[in-house]
Amino acid sequence: MRLRLPRDPFPQAVTAAGFAFLGLFFVYPLYGVLSASFLDPSGAHATLANYAKVFASAFYRASFVNSLTIGVLATLVTVGLAVPIAFALARLPVPGKAALLALASLPLVLPSFVGAYALVLMLGRAGFVTKALQALGVPFTSIYGTPGIVLVYALTLYPYVLLPTLAGLKAIDVSLEEASQNLGASRWRAFWTVTFPLVVPALLSGALLVFIETLENFGVPFVLAEDKPILAVEAYKLFVGETDTNPASAGVLGVVLVTAAVLVLLVQRRYLARRRFSTAARSAPPLIAVARGWRLLAAGWSWGIVLLALVPFFAVVAISFLQFRGPVLYAQPSLDNFRDLLGRSTQPLVNTLLLSTLAALFAALLGVPIGYVLVRRRSALTAVLDMVATTPFAVAGTVLAIGLVVSFNAGWLVLTGGWLIMVIAYVVRKLPFSVRSASALLHQIDPSLEEASVNLGVSPVATFARLVVPMMLGGIVGGMVLTWVTVASELSSTVVLYSAPWQTLTVVMFQALEGEGPGVAAAAASVLILFTLLPLALIYRLLRRYEMSLL
Amino acid sequence: MTSIAIEGVSRAFGSVRAVREVSLLIGDGEFFTLLGPSGCGKTTLLRMIAGFAELDAGSISFGERRIDRLPPHRRNTGMVFQNYAIFPNLDVAGNVAYGLKARRVAGAEIARRVEEALKLVHLEGMDGRWPHQLSGGQLQRVAIARALVIEPEVLLLDEPLSNLDAQLRVEMRGEIRQLQQTLGITAIYVTHDQEEALAISDRIAVMRGGSLEQIGRPDEIYRRPATPFVAEFMGITNLLTGTVVESDGAGVVVRVGDAEFPLGGIAGTTGTPLTFCLRPEALRLLAPGEVPPDGWATLAATLARVEFLGALTRLELRLSDGTPLRAALLDRPVQGIGESDVLSLAYDTRRLVAFGPS
Repeated sequence: MRLRLPRDPFPQAVTAAGFAFLGLFFVYPLYGVLSASFLDPSGAHATLANYAKVFASAFYRASFVNSLTIGVLATLVTVGLAVPIAFALARLPVPGKAALLALASLPLVLPSFVGAYALVLMLGRAGFVTKALQALGVPFTSIYGTPGIVLVYALTLYPYVLLPTLAGLKAIDVSLEEASQNLGASRWRAFWTVTFPLVVPALLSGALLVFIETLENFGVPFVLAEDKPILAVEAYKLFVGETDTNPASAGVLGVVLVTAAVLVLLVQRRYLARRRFSTAARSAPPLIAVARGWRLLAAGWSWGIVLLALVPFFAVVAISFLQFRGPVLYAQPSLDNFRDLLGRSTQPLVNTLLLSTLAALFAALLGVPIGYVLVRRRSALTAVLDMVATTPFAVAGTVLAIGLVVSFNAGWLVLTGGWLIMVIAYVVRKLPFSVRSASALLHQIDPSLEEASVNLGVSPVATFARLVVPMMLGGIVGGMVLTWVTVASELSSTVVLYSAPWQTLTVVMFQALEGEGPGVAAAAASVLILFTLLPLALIYRLLRRYEMSLL
Repeated sequence: MTSIAIEGVSRAFGSVRAVREVSLLIGDGEFFTLLGPSGCGKTTLLRMIAGFAELDAGSISFGERRIDRLPPHRRNTGMVFQNYAIFPNLDVAGNVAYGLKARRVAGAEIARRVEEALKLVHLEGMDGRWPHQLSGGQLQRVAIARALVIEPEVLLLDEPLSNLDAQLRVEMRGEIRQLQQTLGITAIYVTHDQEEALAISDRIAVMRGGSLEQIGRPDEIYRRPATPFVAEFMGITNLLTGTVVESDGAGVVVRVGDAEFPLGGIAGTTGTPLTFCLRPEALRLLAPGEVPPDGWATLAATLARVEFLGALTRLELRLSDGTPLRAALLDRPVQGIGESDVLSLAYDTRRLVAFGPS
């Protein structure tokens, strides 16, 4: 896939720009967090006292244990949910596979904290399902704490396991199974000795992504954890604390969080992601004929899980059109919630649209050339760039935001309080996706097309602009829309970085959760879901054509 | 019009030396083929000329002008890629016009030249078609038209026929040769197919392990291979090793089993081994009592197998010590012979090619 063009300055320019941006707005802020965690209160001397203090506290030790426990549990449940669906989609006759797959990808882009909030509306202390259950005499109190968080994670993150496992199963050359059976293995044995081991790397690789996501997620535990300490939430509380801010302790938690996630990411990248066995299947393996009972079970399980994962989102949209009086929900259709949300100010809505658009634009402007250089002009330097550009995925949004504030609230470059710092945080966070989707698109384009263009007299830069970009265009637009959609519902760095004039819809929802009442929150959640689904519906064909993954 | 001088060119990829100190002079208007098995460095050498592979050492010049420091888009070579590399987002006319637009040729001129180029490759009226509507052969023609329309100094062809089926391959190679002759353009052609190379080239360079093994006209390469490698690569041959039993000023006699092969014009020490080759088609089956012409030698061999291939019949034989010997008979009835028969065969001694100790 590599293109060799001696003495061409284009890759160096892109690599330099990539390093400059990521160095300034990713590495330097993280260094800011790290150094804050090692400085004494005077800020002049290095000390381990902050670490000692945090680890001496049972509360913060618990936050560490809780985060890891929830991460492991959520990962296990996710795998348990997703692997049977993957197998059913790959090898069993399940009706409506295309629709199933499209719906199964949605939780990746729907805001997870909205899902968490919907769960509270249904299964919280005053939730309508809770009340219904209690009315029936079921001794159910609420979903808060570990079970609720694990449930939300499992239902929103299962596509991380489903999609790679499905791809892995489809890539298996069926003749391997046939060879196994030909050598005397039963179909069951062939599955466990050949098929399953071949997809394990893909499966594990997806599972580790789930684990990383649970570590860095802020919104879900914020909504559901109540008094249970969780790393990402405690780091935020320490940093923006109402009584006294404590950047040193926040830094310690941030360092612990980022270290754990990055370690897992490195394992995922260095070890597992490359260990995918490709067996060069010419066509997807055929369906297995199974008894009617198994067929029903497969269809029931697949459709059941996929729809269940979407229920909270449907519920929250439905609820947003009902009337709230204080915290109490009445079964009366009403637009009051939307009036409350937008009546006072439409600025948050405008801000969300504006900031998401800017972020999507810049993420593409930076990510597409970087993706190009990583695929076509590999070198030792671009390998480093690859690692740096894809790491923000593992860095909790709150921690990155804390780093940005620490780094750019004084000195030669002051960004805090404005819109730019928010856009920068979004671009850094979405860059891994932008780079990866650009790389994936390029892998579908034969490099000899570019050589032909250069050979015909068009310079490499002009070839990139006039030939490669037009060929990728549909995919780039698709990637931009996906970036836009996820930025519109970004919460974890937004809550740290926003200032009064730059409130977004997620901030409004966040504040409503803290005080103003569930009506506004439900309306904001509805709007966010609309902002996610509408653009996706518009570009659905595009995504299909370019075989784009929402991962 | 352009001659090409390649001098002392080398290139290593890591520890693999893809091209080693290759020097070549390619004449103006010559059809020159780089031939060799995969991994021999032929494609790397071609890509060095196009500018897609860097030189570690050496130089490449078109005429008097050194070009190996120029970026690839300034070299004015027309390249035809193995997979054609037709831009899928442009129609046929757009593909052919691509290089002209890069050269900022005026619109009317572009239209005229595109039409001319499409006519040249027999694609008149196909200008509005899209690549996905074309067959492999048509894509090939578009690729050639696109490379020629910019009036390049050199036409570079990288295994252009390897994706076509056998019959079309033969047809297209004739067309490419004819086109090159008509335009008088210098062409460098890369292939691993020796028959294609023989059919199409003015001269051939056989490459192996990054080095040139032999350069010559097709008939020279085939009939007078310089090394055992070339002899075997250029088609089925008998590569035999025997012991020198006689040596005088005029030549040597080499014995393999009971058979004696007189090799003229070389020197050798009695008792030393010597390797030589004899093409199967140089052998003729002698009818009982038939006397071979002057200057021919005879040998006796046991028939092991007969393979009938239509125009050709291949015989697999054994010399008295078991050494296999192949003979190919063109359109000759081979009735009346069977396995284990001892046959008498004759050959022109000038068809024996001896190789020095390697």
